Amino acid sequence: MRPRVLAALLAGGAVLTAWGASPTLAQEKGGTLRLLARAAAGTIDPHINYTLQQWQIFYIAYDGLVTFRKAGDQTGFEVVADLAEALPTPENDGKTYRFKLRPGIKFSNGQDLTTDDVVASFQRIFKVSGPTAGTFYNGIVGADKCLAAPADCTLEGGVVADKAAGTVTINLSAPDGEFLQKLAVPHAYIVPAGTASSDQGTTPIPGTGAYAIQSYDPNAALKLARNPNFKEWSAEAQPEGMVDEISYDFGLTEEAAVTAIQNGDADWMFDAPPPDRLAEIGTQYAAQVSLHPLSAMWYAPMNTRLAPFDNAKARQAVNFAIDRNALVKLFGGANLAQPACQILPPGFPGYTPYCPYTAAPGTTWSAPDMEKAKALVAESGTAGQEVKIIAEDTVVSRAVGVYLQDVLTELGYKASVQPISQNLQFTYIQNTNNKVQISISQWFQDYPSPSNFLNVLFSCASFHPGSDASVNIAGFCDEAVEAKMKEAFAAGVSDAKAALPVWTEVDKMVTDAAPAAVLFTPKRVDFVSSRVQNFTFSPQFYAIFSKLAVQ
Amino acid sequence: MLFAILSRLGRLVFVMFGISVIVFLIFFATPGADPAARIAGRNASPQTLEQVRQSFGLDQPLPVQYGLMMKRLFITQDLTSFVNRGQKVVPAVTKAIPVTLSLVLGAAVLWVFGGLVVGVAAAAMRGSVADKALMAISLVGVSMPVFWVGEVMNLLSQSRLHHTFLFSWVPPLGYKPLLTDPVGWFKALLIPWVTLAILYIGLYGRILRADLIETMQEDFVRTARAKGLSEGRILLRHGVRSSLVAFVTMFGLDFGALIGGGALLTEVVFGLRGVGKMTYDALQTLDLPVILATVLYASFFVVAANALVDALYAVIDPRVRDAH
Repeated sequence: MRPRVLAALLAGGAVLTAWGASPTLAQEKGGTLRLLARAAAGTIDPHINYTLQQWQIFYIAYDGLVTFRKAGDQTGFEVVADLAEALPTPENDGKTYRFKLRPGIKFSNGQDLTTDDVVASFQRIFKVSGPTAGTFYNGIVGADKCLAAPADCTLEGGVVADKAAGTVTINLSAPDGEFLQKLAVPHAYIVPAGTASSDQGTTPIPGTGAYAIQSYDPNAALKLARNPNFKEWSAEAQPEGMVDEISYDFGLTEEAAVTAIQNGDADWMFDAPPPDRLAEIGTQYAAQVSLHPLSAMWYAPMNTRLAPFDNAKARQAVNFAIDRNALVKLFGGANLAQPACQILPPGFPGYTPYCPYTAAPGTTWSAPDMEKAKALVAESGTAGQEVKIIAEDTVVSRAVGVYLQDVLTELGYKASVQPISQNLQFTYIQNTNNKVQISISQWFQDYPSPSNFLNVLFSCASFHPGSDASVNIAGFCDEAVEAKMKEAFAAGVSDAKAALPVWTEVDKMVTDAAPAAVLFTPKRVDFVSSRVQNFTFSPQFYAIFSKLAVQ
Repeated sequence: MLFAILSRLGRLVFVMFGISVIVFLIFFATPGADPAARIAGRNASPQTLEQVRQSFGLDQPLPVQYGLMMKRLFITQDLTSFVNRGQKVVPAVTKAIPVTLSLVLGAAVLWVFGGLVVGVAAAAMRGSVADKALMAISLVGVSMPVFWVGEVMNLLSQSRLHHTFLFSWVPPLGYKPLLTDPVGWFKALLIPWVTLAILYIGLYGRILRADLIETMQEDFVRTARAKGLSEGRILLRHGVRSSLVAFVTMFGLDFGALIGGGALLTEVVFGLRGVGKMTYDALQTLDLPVILATVLYASFFVVAANALVDALYAVIDPRVRDAH
């Protein structure tokens, strides 16, 4: 996923110390949690919105058949049963999943949750042309018909309910080892059967979560209150909330938001604190700051279908030449990022440290190897060609772009940088019509599976020439890698763990082919007011609002 | 008179049509502006992308899209944002107007009054140290970018000196409605008013001074002096009145532009959710319906302000009246 771009962090050596995660147990419930964001993040229809900012809200307001455990450690990556009584064991060679609904769950409007709602919700994913309808849920039997004609979607034979028994059976046309993870993201959350089959925009849809959205005005605020019909059925899936109300205000700049939190006028901000305030909050407010590494990367995809980067040696040269420590400094220092040169981020399933692009190739990056890089450029015969770098117009992205320009110039190219508005850059660099040679982008996971990086970003299927939605920006399509990924998917059907070593190999293969230069792994800075207790950070959805308490 | 009004209206419609067409064309000529891909999210399948594009009506020819959008903006008034779908644009702008009006009216009072005082005082003391000091300060005021002044004001009043007696009264950034909380409204807007007015006080003061000095060499001033009127009376009654022409012209245009959202940087810095901030956000996210609505709203005010200024000339300067 690509949440609304985490704003730039750039501090001349900001002193940020990671806050030991030892939250004092919150004593009291009640009060109002006041959140801030620079701008609203679009529709509040959980089947459509695809931003981290809104997913954090859906996480506490809605439930899926399964969900990611609401926990502040690595177990937050694990899928647990939510509206279903238990995690199903795949049957029929991994093609059938049978869920039994918990009895007695009500929506925030008082309606009982039944199997009808589940069936209708799955149909609705297609009826509203959800962003992942064709990528996450296209394996459900009948999905192909739904994708072709969304309005008449029935998913007949795909999602089968037995209302009397309270069970829902989902049949896939082919086994999918990641299916439960896909069911745990908000696009598969369950909403009432009567919900209209169109983007509900600013109208709240009733949910089953601990909180219910009361109102939403993208120019002012989003307000949530305790869901009166909510009774906790599983503390790990959907715990009861600490505060009574949550008010999410839009419109303050990041500067103003930091000040508001310092003054106790607000409790938390979605956007990253601006670079010039990092030193101040890291020293004077150290107890209110927490840092967490993200399953994400900053990377520079290189177009494998355009000169000079249609030559693998030129791409490897760029990888060897980049001083990743310099980039980490640009991003705010070692506390805010760490160098990376492989696709999978540290701590991610399937991650094994690997770095071929360093002075002493091995497991970790140490220093650039300019000599080797120049030799590769000479071998490739691409020196002297013009290269344009497309960056975003944020402080960091532009700085990274200018740095890359220096590197490419030193390698013998005629390099230039063109920053583009951060709201357009991501779609611009995807479209082959724009003939982008190299760009600077970020990637954040949707769910913790290696395929979410490797398959999504570097498979032939993710490449759509001439389309703004062609997330394989490098245009990378390699037979050997495709075959290996197929093998990994097959291995993952029966046992996700068994697939991980295969994914590790894919990671190595893609890293060696260098369709991109991975730059660094960013960290998330959360700054909370002094009244906030029990700040809990899920690796999947970041801050868990229902766990935060205020004095 | 009727003809004058009709010609103005004709001009207004023409200007608004031209602006809307230009905005529309710029949007569609921008690579990567297609909202379908941004809404559909990353890695959307080609089918999904196509369906989203259809749901926005983006698959129709441009003139049809333009016509539909104008119809939904002016006739049915149910045009919704591209970015925050479901957000109706017209009510959103309507809701933002009081914020912008409060900000601009308050600042206008300050800057008209301040500009008059600075201009008249400097002209009256022409050549003295006080005159030079006033002009130097005005130049500084004109040179400081409004967003920088705003951020510095915020730094002092919200952060560094927030806990001292000077600024402990300053409420958190944001707008309080005048009708429900008049005191809060005043407190919340005082610093933004000053910030926005600084530039204009400097500008208007300098213009007025130059005009006054020129006017005081006119024939009718010599006549007044010959009649034996006091210098102060001449300056205020005759000089200021005829020097106000340029002042009023500028005021009309500036005021019109600001009401139309020209104060956007001030609004952004102070977290005031007015029309300017809406415009700023919409430009950031390329939200065409909101950009269209705010730009058309702004152009209406600029044209209206022009008409008003022309009418005021006749009131201020008898020579204009005689020319009709």
